[in-house]
Amino acid sequence: MFPHLSGLTLPCAPSRAGCTVRAFAWHPHTNKFAVALLDDSIRVYNSNSATVPSLKHRLQRNVAAMAWKPLCASILAVACQSCVLVWHLDPTSLSTRPSSGCAQVLSCPGHSPVTSLAWAPSGERLLSASPVDTAMLVWDVSTETCVQLQWFGGGGVTYLAWSPDGSKVLAATPSAVFRVWEAQMWTCERWPTIRGRCQTGCWSPDGSRLLFTVLGESVIYSLSFSEYRGEMQGQVGGSKTASIVADLSETTFETLYGEERIGGEVHSMVWDPTGERLAVIIRGHPESPNSQPAVAVFRTRNSPVFELLPCGFVRGERGARPQLISFHPCFPQGALLTVCWSSGKISHIPFFFVGALEPHASPRRSPVPVPAWHPRASPPSGAPHTCTGAGCAAPAPIKGGFSLPLLSSP
Amino acid sequence: MSMVIIIISIFNIEFYAVVPSIPCSRLALIGKIIHPQQVIHSFVHAIMGMLVTWCATVMTKGRFQFLAVSCTPSEGLEDAVPQMCLNEYHLFFLLSGAFLGYSYSLFYLINNMNYLPFPIIQQYKYLRFRRSLPLLIKHSCVESLHFVRNFCVTYYFFGYIPKVWICTTMDLHTDGKLHPLDTLSGLLDLSLFYHTWLSGVFLLMTWYIAWLLFKIYATESHHFPIQPTFAQETDQCLPKILNSNPPLLIKFLALQDLMLLSQYSPVRRQEVFSLSQPGGHPHNWTAISRECLSLLSDLTQRLIAQQEAAAAANGRAKPPVGELKVPPQTPGAAGIEDMSFQSQSSPALNYKMGVVDIKSPWHGPVQSPHVMRRGPKLWTSVSDQQMNGSHHESFPVLSAARTGTEAVQPRFIYTWLQNKQEQIKTFLSKRALIMYFFSKHPEASIQAVFSDAQMHIWALEGLSHLVAASFTEDQFGVVQTTLPAILNTLLTLQEVVDRHFKLPHVSSKPPRISGSLVDTSYKTLRFALRASLKTALYRITTVFGEHLNAVQVSTEHKKRLQQFLEYKE
Repeated sequence: MFPHLSGLTLPCAPSRAGCTVRAFAWHPHTNKFAVALLDDSIRVYNSNSATVPSLKHRLQRNVAAMAWKPLCASILAVACQSCVLVWHLDPTSLSTRPSSGCAQVLSCPGHSPVTSLAWAPSGERLLSASPVDTAMLVWDVSTETCVQLQWFGGGGVTYLAWSPDGSKVLAATPSAVFRVWEAQMWTCERWPTIRGRCQTGCWSPDGSRLLFTVLGESVIYSLSFSEYRGEMQGQVGGSKTASIVADLSETTFETLYGEERIGGEVHSMVWDPTGERLAVIIRGHPESPNSQPAVAVFRTRNSPVFELLPCGFVRGERGARPQLISFHPCFPQGALLTVCWSSGKISHIPFFFVGALEPHASPRRSPVPVPAWHPRASPPSGAPHTCTGAGCAAPAPIKGGFSLPLLSSP
Repeated sequence: MSMVIIIISIFNIEFYAVVPSIPCSRLALIGKIIHPQQVIHSFVHAIMGMLVTWCATVMTKGRFQFLAVSCTPSEGLEDAVPQMCLNEYHLFFLLSGAFLGYSYSLFYLINNMNYLPFPIIQQYKYLRFRRSLPLLIKHSCVESLHFVRNFCVTYYFFGYIPKVWICTTMDLHTDGKLHPLDTLSGLLDLSLFYHTWLSGVFLLMTWYIAWLLFKIYATESHHFPIQPTFAQETDQCLPKILNSNPPLLIKFLALQDLMLLSQYSPVRRQEVFSLSQPGGHPHNWTAISRECLSLLSDLTQRLIAQQEAAAAANGRAKPPVGELKVPPQTPGAAGIEDMSFQSQSSPALNYKMGVVDIKSPWHGPVQSPHVMRRGPKLWTSVSDQQMNGSHHESFPVLSAARTGTEAVQPRFIYTWLQNKQEQIKTFLSKRALIMYFFSKHPEASIQAVFSDAQMHIWALEGLSHLVAASFTEDQFGVVQTTLPAILNTLLTLQEVVDRHFKLPHVSSKPPRISGSLVDTSYKTLRFALRASLKTALYRITTVFGEHLNAVQVSTEHKKRLQQFLEYKE
């Protein structure tokens, strides 16, 4: 029925072997994260408390994405098969099974399955999108009203990303077109790619640069936007063309363990909130015996010129493939990368550095040590083990390197 | 046709309201319907409807065109003069137009279609119009079907009245050959039904489009300057408009503009934070913050009054028999009661003024009905003695007895009147019919309290965004001096709103009807207010962080701010 969706593989579809974690989301202000498991339950882990609330609801099926509401203690939006569930959790409660009455159901006819969610950074609006619906919904969660942003042609939305300054939204479609919306008057710019659809994208902290990758190509593109002054209503302000900033085609590395072939298409990409580190999951070549998916980390800088330098790789245990990556939104000593592996482990890798820019606001508490979760004694099947960062992977030294034309922004 | 549209638009403009009027009881609803303004509205709409269908019949031609047509000649009639007969189809059409107009007007009233909802996101007018068009067309078709069906039923029963009246006034004959329309066989004419339905769709669509365009244009965001560049613009600038008492729509637009500028416009924020020349006073910020804070404290007081009324009603819900049985006391005792009444009323008055004294007995949830009595007390209860124990010792009994004797007589008549009133009320409340009309619908009365909450939501968002932006953009520190007042107001309002949501029915959501043309967002405004209040507080605490500990607030509020800083609220 939808021929343009035939090549679409949703992340963590149950048919993919070895996928135990469906979705992962860090809370934007505290040391709390939510993990969606294969059995459609969601666990919330908090470093300050030992209770792990488990969220279950009869409408919570095929969870594809989760997002915590910014500027809030604990409201979690979950993208499910037929609706969007918004859980209102009590941050001080010790209950391990919050009742289904805490969940608000936001549904709209024709808008299912919901696969991407994005909260506005000011915390007021929630965007939800489905690859089947050619309309993106802007929800006002408290009054349960929604506005449909419709367009014609090109299919639904496969990936949503709201820029951290709240001015722009990236919406990738299953066809070879992606849209960038500006969030004041909700007009959009259409960007046709040369081949393939936009696989993933991420914004710089000030919303002036978008890095994205295209399915079938192993390069990272960069698109810059004029600075948002607030006076240009209704204009997205994107530059005319995107430029290539990194080429991630397959290269051979000599390591202590032998020859390693790393490189290929990009599966997902995240940029840390200080704009200093970029993490990329590189899918290896399925035919090549030695190539395995790896997480590559780059050092980046956005001002005065854009710079992207390779920093290292993160490799898990033997046979474990990285599936989801995410940066901690407010790690005071640098950046904290969380990787969810196919073996069910979740690892946190800290990067300690002093940022080039001063943090925007003073930290709310004294410096937090790297969170250490102890593996459970007898975990139920399917539950992920977590381990501290130090024990998981050491960044491999770089010999040779990627061919990286260092392009400065226009 | 164009005249019709113009008159409809005039009515839209006359009757619009940014704050919905919610009838709290069935009697109020009936009162709204028979209000003369509404009667004129319905009458004019009925006439408009008739005009539109007349135009439709002219356009259709065929058998609907004229009111009077020559009768079909009968077989055996020798009479050569053709008689004029009533064309019942035409009459049917005109009456259906009138009925449709009247139903539209009734629907307009009941669904509060004169309420102007402001959109949750800003969009260009053309896009908003295009987005609403498919729903509008579908709605017109379905509604026209319902109205025509209702009209057919009405015509079946009452159709003979206008027929007979027109025949006698215009000296027409009824055509014996054709079926009269007010019978079942006459009404089952599919072509007639289709034509009526189509003209109904046409009528409704034109009226709804006029209504939609009016809504879109009226709720468009308007740019108010902050600093007037020309002398004649001084009256139009934002701080002035907020502080004066403009018509409600202008105030709404000004607050919406404040909300937008605080989020999206660094240049205008600079103007808000600027100092006047040559005095160096932050007039703009003072005016804006004062207006927003007064709006919020006004809401706080309103909610407190509502909560007290609810608690008093709970108290009076206990069987009133107890009150009636208590006889008036002796003068001496009455005197002491007088004192206790006076000393009791002062904390209540204080509370009404908005000063929340933590030690006052009104601070926590008050359940005892005795404490709630406003009127003169006829007995002292244990709780009152505990409260007023300290006061009793200080008053000399002598002066109490003297004032007591003087105050006793008028109070006696007053209490007797009160008793009689209560007796009548109890008697009437046992009559189910009276209660049917007078009983207040709880959901409706809750919605009525929050009916203008949109103003407060925008004030909260605008204020919190400005305060958050001032952390980096305020060069002269104009916001810092008002921070204690802002935090106090926000935290007090949050406390009151949380307590309000513990009342019955307030936290239950009304059922959501999706896909309807009519906007019912005013029913859930209280949830939006609660959410934006929390977000506003978190916005300020997230940006300021630990620096908030240096702001002067009361200890109770300091504790709550700490909860916000730790994300435990």
